[in-house]
Parts: sequence; C-alpha cells; structure tokens
Amino acid sequence: MNRTVAHLLMRLYPRYWRERYGEEFEAFLETHHGDFGASVNVVWSALCEHVFPTRGGKMHQPIRSFGAVLKQPSAFLPLAMSLIALAMVLGDIAIYGVVHSADEGAVAHLWQLLMAGQTPIVAFFAIRWLPRAPRQTLPVLALQAGAALASMAPVFFLNL
Amino acid sequence: MIEDIASICGTRLGPGTLYGAIARLEQQGWIEPLPPEERRQPYRITAEGMRVLRAKLTTLQQFTKVGLERLEPL
Repeated sequence: MNRTVAHLLMRLYPRYWRERYGEEFEAFLETHHGDFGASVNVVWSALCEHVFPTRGGKMHQPIRSFGAVLKQPSAFLPLAMSLIALAMVLGDIAIYGVVHSADEGAVAHLWQLLMAGQTPIVAFFAIRWLPRAPRQTLPVLALQAGAALASMAPVFFLNL
Repeated sequence: MIEDIASICGTRLGPGTLYGAIARLEQQGWIEPLPPEERRQPYRITAEGMRVLRAKLTTLQQFTKVGLERLEPL
C-alpha cells in the first residue's frame, strides 16, 4: 500500500489507539496489498474503534467527568441549537405577538432546520459516548431532550 | 499472519480486522509484543493466553464432537 494512503488510513483511528499501534500498523499497511477492500476494511475498523473502543490493559480510558463529556461538540451543539430556536420563537412572540397565519415565516423555517438538524448530532453523540461513559452521557442526553422540549413547548402550546 | 489464517480457515482478514483483534488480544493479556524486527512487530502468546486458548479449543472440540454425533443418524 502507498505510504501516504497508509498514513492517512492510520490517522482515522483514535489518538490513544494510534499512540500504541499507529507506527506498527502503518508499517504493516505499507507491506499489505493496497486494494480497495483493504482500505474499506481499515476505515470500517477505525470507525468501530471510535464507537466501541478497545478496553483493558494499557488502553484503559479514564472515566470522563460530566463536564468533559458536555464539552464535546456533539453534546453542546444540540443544546445550543435548541436554545437558539427557543430564543427565536420567544423573540418573535415578543415583537409580533402570537400570530396564526397559513404562511410560515423565516423564523418558523429556521426553527424547523435547527430542530431537525440536531437529530443526527444527538444520535452520533449517543452512539459514540453511551458505550464509553454511560453515567456521564445519560444526563447530557436528558439535558438535550429537555432543551428540545422547551423549544417545542411554545410552538405546540400556542399553536404557532 | 493473514495468509496463515486464510490457509487454516479459508477466510482472509482485512488489515483493520486483524489489528483490531491484535489490540484486543494484547489488552486482555493473551498475547505480548516481542522486540521489533526492523519495521515488523512480532507477537507471542502468553501463558494466560495459552490457558484461555486451550480451554476454548477444548470447548469447541466437545461442541464439534457432539454436533457431529447428533448429525450422524440424520
């Protein structure tokens, strides 16, 4: 396999894995037949390592704190999106009052985009972090759900 | 190692699958690295690894034996 391709494929693995196996894995890839199937296999294995990390021995990952999990972009982005959506709805109500019209305005479209856009991020966060740190991840998921519900509440209760 | 596995069981492992297995076996303490030979990294089975492998193979042997016996009259 080409040295550059081998290096790029190795870089797909998480840092802790690369620190232990990166050098020898890259050397191994360079001696391996560089067919498409092998590259797909490495990409898939790297993805699996991110989702279901190797545990035990020297690879043991310290249990992360709630704050550390919350600092992950996939944790705080959905929260921010829900809060922005809520602020937009409340701001619109404060300025124009509760208006029922057939034509959805720009605020409604943005609200829909923000709410729909966070769904894959929340799914990614849950898949990635639940297996690693369930105790820290569940409260963050609860926060995300709470923020989403808070953002939906005025829309549903006021029939906007 | 990939060729060896392919010759034993007819399945050709991808490099990612093989190294995933190596990482898990090492972290379980069932294999350990030997000093590198140039850019090649050899591993060897540990005493604990041998014990676990022997137990697994014994179970598999019993399973295979019973399975074949039950298939015999069919």
